Amino acid sequence: MQVWTKLFAKSPFKPLIKHADVVLTTVETLEKALQAWYACDYEGMKKFATEVDRLEDVADRIKEEIRDSLSSKLMMAVAREDVLIYLHMQDKVADAAEDTAKWLLVKKPDCAPEEIKSIILEMGTESIKAAKLVHEAIVQMDRVIESGFAEGEIEREYEIIRQIESVENKIDGLDTKLMRLVFENADSMSWGDGLYILNIARTLSNISDKAKDAAERIRLMMNK
Amino acid sequence: MDPWLLITIVIGLAMAWAIGANDAANSMSTAVGAKAITPKQAVIIAGVLEFAGAYFFGKSVTETIRKGILDPTMITDPMVLVYGSVAALLAATIWLIIATKFGLPVSTTHAIIGGIAGYGVVYAGTEIVNWGKMGQVVLSWILSPIVGAIMAYFIFKVFTKSIFERKDPVRSARIWSPFWIGLAFVVIGTMFYIKVLHGNDLKTGVLMYGVPLGIIVFAVTYLLIKLRFPSSDPFIGVEAIFRKAQVVTSAYVALAHGANDVANAIGPVAAVYAVATMGLGGMQVPVPRWILAMGGLGIAVGVATYGYRVMETVGKKITELTNTRGFTIDFSAATVVLAASWLGLPISTTHTVVGAVIGIGLARGVKAINKDIVRDIIISWFVTVPVAGLISAAIFKVLMIVG
Repeated sequence: MQVWTKLFAKSPFKPLIKHADVVLTTVETLEKALQAWYACDYEGMKKFATEVDRLEDVADRIKEEIRDSLSSKLMMAVAREDVLIYLHMQDKVADAAEDTAKWLLVKKPDCAPEEIKSIILEMGTESIKAAKLVHEAIVQMDRVIESGFAEGEIEREYEIIRQIESVENKIDGLDTKLMRLVFENADSMSWGDGLYILNIARTLSNISDKAKDAAERIRLMMNK
Repeated sequence: MDPWLLITIVIGLAMAWAIGANDAANSMSTAVGAKAITPKQAVIIAGVLEFAGAYFFGKSVTETIRKGILDPTMITDPMVLVYGSVAALLAATIWLIIATKFGLPVSTTHAIIGGIAGYGVVYAGTEIVNWGKMGQVVLSWILSPIVGAIMAYFIFKVFTKSIFERKDPVRSARIWSPFWIGLAFVVIGTMFYIKVLHGNDLKTGVLMYGVPLGIIVFAVTYLLIKLRFPSSDPFIGVEAIFRKAQVVTSAYVALAHGANDVANAIGPVAAVYAVATMGLGGMQVPVPRWILAMGGLGIAVGVATYGYRVMETVGKKITELTNTRGFTIDFSAATVVLAASWLGLPISTTHTVVGAVIGIGLARGVKAINKDIVRDIIISWFVTVPVAGLISAAIFKVLMIVG
């Protein structure tokens, strides 16, 4: 009789949502670090950036647990590879946030030009949007399965994916604008400052890049 | 009292206990797993209804040889029937306890059939076994899960389409939930007539029991939902509706199970009783009410002592089985069993339920099913008859030498 407890394996979706929770918190903490950086508050920034590092570890641990539980002996509503790759991408979102935090900590900020700083801050805010949407997307995926892949729920999921793509697009635009700005200000900045800013921007735009990759996987999960 | 009768009664009680521990708990597991009822409530419902089913609705006449698996004319010595019944009963009980220990849902009917065939072969060789009947039993291993899977697949598809795939799921849930629940009760009403009241005419069952019950349930459910839809979220609302429906469907399963499967425990007891009191058996023997009561009590005690622990584990563990899925499984299994008893096919409820779970999995309805466990279950089905047969053969041999 205990077979009923074993027949239904644990669904990976609840842990995936838990993982998404942690990823979202990581990105939100990074944004706080960016705000501290914007205000030239090195101590505050350090505190938040270290916290980002810790949260990324937590996400990693959940990722490992999910991977271990996804044996190839499971019969699932979605392909196992899709779940694994999705998880990988969702985890990369937190990784990208950690990369940004690492770059932030590389040197004491000596207050970059206002224009550049505000673009970085905007990129941070947009990244939170991307992470929030990824969270929404995986919660919605759970509902899609719950509804037996009903058209209406699939349509709602597609809408979330489209939003993720448009956020990614926006951040891409901000990134390009920032690169141009850095070179325009090349004379007033040291090469170190330039490298610093460009790398922060690159790792920041990585967050939404990975969010988009995760969304792509969800699209594949819904294909019948 | 005849010492053999006493021995049979004791083993019969043990068998009834094992049925309660293994099989009866199965009937409530989808409801407990989907959190429609707590394990404690499940034990009370199953205990009371299994007993009521066995005592009030158990057949008052039983076959001496379950499903006519042996040719009774070849058994001339009544003591063979006594030894054989003891051997078959003990073998089935032992196998059931082993299966329960490993958590495998096996068919108690198959266990007792294996036990009977086992002693028959030792007594008179393979020609005593009605191989045509045995073939049907083997076919039911294969047929029950396949038909259960196909049924559940389609019911799940149509079910989700009717409720979730609408512009306004809340509105369609208001109309379609009572429809599905009503339809399930048409099946349940008809089944009640055939399985619990042991009626024969399907038309009477459908028209006198099934359809009226279905209409009443539809009307009541429709009004209740109209008065107050449980939630503005169609998912939560629909789940809440089917949670209540599942309490009733699983209660019915317990009642029908008691009425039917009690024969597996008390059939051999009744056979020995007939030999002890009248000196001989026959194709069919009457079952005294106290033997039915004993069987019912045994099952109820099995549920309360071991079934409880089992259901508690289920209640804690399965969280992935939602109420709509649990309902679809119950509904599909009941429909298949009804159709099978109408066609005269031996179909095992346990096997059909497992098939239905897989069917819903194939329809992408369950988030994760353990394929390993499915394999274990299927293996356990294939070994039930031979293993029970071998144990029974050994016990019978010993009894023939000693007795």
